[in-house]
This record gives sequence, C-alpha cells and structure tokens, in this order.
Amino acid sequence: MIKHHPTPETLLAHAAGTLPAGHALVVAAHVQGCAACQVELARLEALGGALLEELAPEALAPEAFAETLARLDSPAPITVRQMPRQADLALPEGLRLPAALRGAEIGRWLWVGRGVRYSRVRLPWAPGGNVMLMRIAPNRRVLAHSHGGAEFTQVLHGTFTDATGQYGPGDMAEADSDLAHQPRADGDGCICLAALEGGMRLPWLSRLVGGHA
Amino acid sequence: MAAREASALGLRFVIHIQNTKWRGWWIARLIHFAAPRVCWYMNAPDAPFPPPASRGASVSPVSALDSPALDAEAQAVLIARVAARDRQAFAALFKHFAPRVKAYLRRAGMEASEAEEVAQEVMLLVWRKAESFDAARGAASTWVFAIARNARLDHARRRANLPPAPPEDEDSLAPCAETLTLTAERAARLRGALGALSPDQQQIVKLSFFAETPHAAIASALNLPLGTVKSRIRLGLARLRALLEDGV
Repeated sequence: MIKHHPTPETLLAHAAGTLPAGHALVVAAHVQGCAACQVELARLEALGGALLEELAPEALAPEAFAETLARLDSPAPITVRQMPRQADLALPEGLRLPAALRGAEIGRWLWVGRGVRYSRVRLPWAPGGNVMLMRIAPNRRVLAHSHGGAEFTQVLHGTFTDATGQYGPGDMAEADSDLAHQPRADGDGCICLAALEGGMRLPWLSRLVGGHA
Repeated sequence: MAAREASALGLRFVIHIQNTKWRGWWIARLIHFAAPRVCWYMNAPDAPFPPPASRGASVSPVSALDSPALDAEAQAVLIARVAARDRQAFAALFKHFAPRVKAYLRRAGMEASEAEEVAQEVMLLVWRKAESFDAARGAASTWVFAIARNARLDHARRRANLPPAPPEDEDSLAPCAETLTLTAERAARLRGALGALSPDQQQIVKLSFFAETPHAAIASALNLPLGTVKSRIRLGLARLRALLEDGV
C-alpha cells in the first residue's frame, strides 16, 4: 500500500514538463508503480489539453502548412539508441529497477559510509542531473544533511524513516531545501532512487571546519 | 442591351490584354483555369467539379474546415482519419492545433521562428503517431498537449546537443478503469470547471503549465512567497477535482 505520493504541485509540474530531469525521473518511477497517481496525472494532462484549447491561436507563416505537408511522406528519423551501461547491482531477489531507468547509465555500488552504498545514475539526456541509487544496510543512517534544492526519493525496496515519517516500497518522499534530515533504514535495509537539486549540504562538516551552518 | 454592351466590353478587354505585355500571364491563367476542367469533363462529365481531394492533391488548411472550433469528438474522428492517412483530415487538425501549439511554445519562452519550427514538428508527430491515439484513454487535446510538451523538452535537449529522452513505455502505462473514464466528453467539462476557479487560482495553474519556470520563479514573478504559490496550486487543483466529481 503506497502511503506517500508526490505533492499535487509536483505532479502538476511533471504534467507540465517543468520539473528538472532528475526529479521528473523519480516522479515517473513513482507513477509507473502507483495507480492513484496515474489517474491524477491523466487528469492533469487533460487539464493541459484544456488549457491548450483555450490559448489564443498564433497564426503560422502562410507556407507552414505546405511545408509540413511536404514532409509527411519522409520517413521518421531513426534514432539509434545505445544500450546504456548498467552495472550489475546484485539487487535482492525479485526486485527490478523501475522502467523509467531504462535509458539511464548506472554505475556500480560505491562505499560512502558505514552500511551506505551509492551508485551514480547518469541520464544521457540530462547529464548534469544529480541522480543516484542508495542502498542502506538495516538500521544504518545516512549522514545528516540538508539540500541546496529539493530532494525526491522513491523507495524501491525496504523502508526508511526520517523525521517526516516512514517510507515503504513505492512511496515517494519530497524533502525541501529547508529540511535537514538523517534518514535511517529499518530492519530490511533500504534501496531507493533519489534525485536532488543543488547538491547535498553537510551542516556538521561546516561546523567542524569552523564555518557556520 | 446590357448583354450586348457586356460582350462588347469583354471583347475590348480581350483585345486589350492581347496587346499588353501581360499577355503571357493572362494566357497562362486561362490555361490554368481551363485545363483541369477540360480534362475532368472528358473523363467524367457527370461528376461535380472540383473532384474530392485525393492523396497528393493540393490540400488547403483554410478550405478544409471553416468552422471556428472543433469539439473533442470531431477531433478524435479527425485523428482516426489521419491514422488512415487522410490529408484533408490532417489539414483540419493542422488548422486547429498548429496555431495553439505555437502559442503554447511561445509562452514557454521560444522565439517566434523557433516556435513555428517546433509547432510544425509537433504536427508531423501527430501525423506519424496518429495510429497510437486511443480515444478511450483521453481527449485529443490531451494527446496533442503531451506531444507538444515532449517536443518542447526534446527541442531544448537538441539545442544542447543532448539525445532525446527515451519514449515512454506504452505498456507500462496500461489504462486502468478510472483512466478510461477520462474521455473526450470529460475534457469539455474540465474546461468549464477551469472557468469556475478564482482568478488567482486560474492564473497560477496557467502559469504552471505555460511558463517554463519552476514554482520558485513564479513566486518571485508574482511577488508572492513560494508557500503561497504552492498552496494556491493545491487549492486550485482540489477545487477542480471537486467540480469535476460533482458534475459526474
């Protein structure tokens, strides 16, 4: 049972195509597994269609139609897609990565702290995004951090808990830039897909080096 | 008397044009006018002229459909005809959607020439993808909106020398029963419900769709706190949903 969904304004931005690519990927991964959000997204896209109908038309150049007509018979360009490199992540039995990750390059697990591993996800169509898979061992915590921008997290396996609640498989968490949190995996450990804008901030580190958090 | 005068005038006109440097042009006009009619008369004297447009014949977007607006049902029918490679139907869709798609792209911050180019691409995609349109899954305007939105994003990527995002997996988004109820007929009601929102809510919902800006930028443009923008969107969407569900 999915308890945590994207906020309405996030789904609206997804329908409008204004989310950053990394966030859009996490929302797409959530929607693929969530019937309620599929319905909501269909509704919002219908809203987009209704708004499109209402726009004051802007005339095209007189020759635009003839130009398009002349191109109708040209074959659609074939885009050759290279199979992205996806490392074998040795996922738990029965767990498959969301279909939204099909075109993404996925790096191998890297150790980033006790019980915490990280795999870089690179989107060829948005290489600058900060997207990752996280694997947290049972009862381990991620370093306390806040974000330069919002962080979206989709739980793929297990559960994690932070100050805002407990998130299980299929749940999506939205952490604003003002939320400083320290997610902790529960008994099964946790694997999740996360995208963040503006990088991670480590207040304790800046305190340590004498700055102010 | 009138007939005689008219024919005299006509004769003088013909003599006049024969003596001017425009003679070649007038003769060409005459042949252009007469030749198809003569050919048509020799083949099928009983059929009405002009013959119905066929594949490859000239199709004009203006003559195709002169009614001011297409309702959702007519749009769905046109897309089905386009799937069967009907150019006349495509002309009608082009006439209706291309200027709206261009307006959408302009609002998303594109230059006029760029918007024109991408609007043409969108219509080309409408032609190519018409077969995948399923009227049971949503209104035609919804379908065109999604194509235009994705084309806008892919265009931005192309300009940055990036590949397009992989197409959405159609199978992974199999329509569920509830999605199926979002039919064309409902799309019209949605527009009515939109008009029932407060002007503030309408403005912010429209900005969310049409300005290529995240909510934070909308907040600063309207001089509102980000929290207010988000709560207005939430209220607006909740109101829309209530209006739609009341109307069932």
